[in-house]
Amino acid sequence: MSALPGTTSTADEVASRIVDATAACGITLVASLPDGWITSLIALYAADGRFRHVAVNREESAIGLCSGAFFGGIGTLALMGASGFMTCIYAITKINYTYQIPLLIGITLRGRPGDGAKFHQSNGLYLEPLIASIGMPFVPIERSADIDRLGTAYRHSRVMSRPVVVGFTRDVLRGEA
Amino acid sequence: MDFEACFRLLADHLRDDVVVTSAGNCSELWWEITGETERAFYLEASMSLASLFAAGIALGNPQRTVVTFSGDGAFCMNPGMLLVERQLALPNLKHFVVDNGCYGSTNDLAHPFGELMDYAGMAKAVGVARVYDFATLEGLSQGLDDMTRVPGHAFAVLHVKPLGRRVASPPLDGPEVKFRFGRYLERTGGPPIFDSPVHDRGKPQ
Repeated sequence: MSALPGTTSTADEVASRIVDATAACGITLVASLPDGWITSLIALYAADGRFRHVAVNREESAIGLCSGAFFGGIGTLALMGASGFMTCIYAITKINYTYQIPLLIGITLRGRPGDGAKFHQSNGLYLEPLIASIGMPFVPIERSADIDRLGTAYRHSRVMSRPVVVGFTRDVLRGEA
Repeated sequence: MDFEACFRLLADHLRDDVVVTSAGNCSELWWEITGETERAFYLEASMSLASLFAAGIALGNPQRTVVTFSGDGAFCMNPGMLLVERQLALPNLKHFVVDNGCYGSTNDLAHPFGELMDYAGMAKAVGVARVYDFATLEGLSQGLDDMTRVPGHAFAVLHVKPLGRRVASPPLDGPEVKFRFGRYLERTGGPPIFDSPVHDRGKPQ
């Protein structure tokens, strides 16, 4: 697949590695809502025959769909931006915590130093403390060498029967780390 | 139509199907009528996600009919669920919206949008091919087979009167619901769900 506008070939290589690592987990369903940092990644999932990609109307719907798919024996990834993840706390705690349903959630680490968007700075302040406050394991992907931790995170969610969130930095997604 | 009579008719009809109920009266009344602990997933307090949770189940269990109930309060929180359902177009997903015009689990407080909403019209507008609108027990009885037995994603509105009484929630902890439901699916021809299949325990290797 050729590079999307605004992306580099290196960024596309990173996206391909993330997609391959996802497939290696046994994940076959990806439900997503876009964030500007992951448009290439979403496009790759959508174009890859190893996955059924479902574009959802809001991030909570990805939580609901992927959680139900657990009972279909389907490995899933709910992929979204940091802000969308922040809207999912109720769904995660009420569905995945109450019923102990595993789920891998992929998010962007918006608001970290280097993110120039002022409207995402609240994520920089509250995202990671919020994840910690609900005791959710958090696996940051800060260098391309960390991409294989996706598999570790997925397996850990199965072992603990609860969600695990992986967070992608801007530099990783741009192929610069 | 009478809410309880409606659910009794449905419970009698849906004897072999997997059911996902949303919070409040849907879960409470289904539990009271059926006492079901395996074929039903009582998704209490998901705030609108019952149908998409059911869609996930249906996606991985194409040989089963998966029936889901959303309250009208839940539906109004996330009507965009219909867009995702339409996109998935799962032939084994049957979605009922229970229109009782009130928040049944919170003392029947009136639903502020009830009289404004045309749930069936909304489903048609997003392109759901098979849409039903049941206002009477007779109509429901006549249309139920067509809705639930003919393959194809289907959406129906159940116009019922408020229940008018308190009903107890299913007395099941979340993990119990998960394991009973999941083991039932596994045992009855579904794909493996859990990483540790207990049914192999004790059998010769």
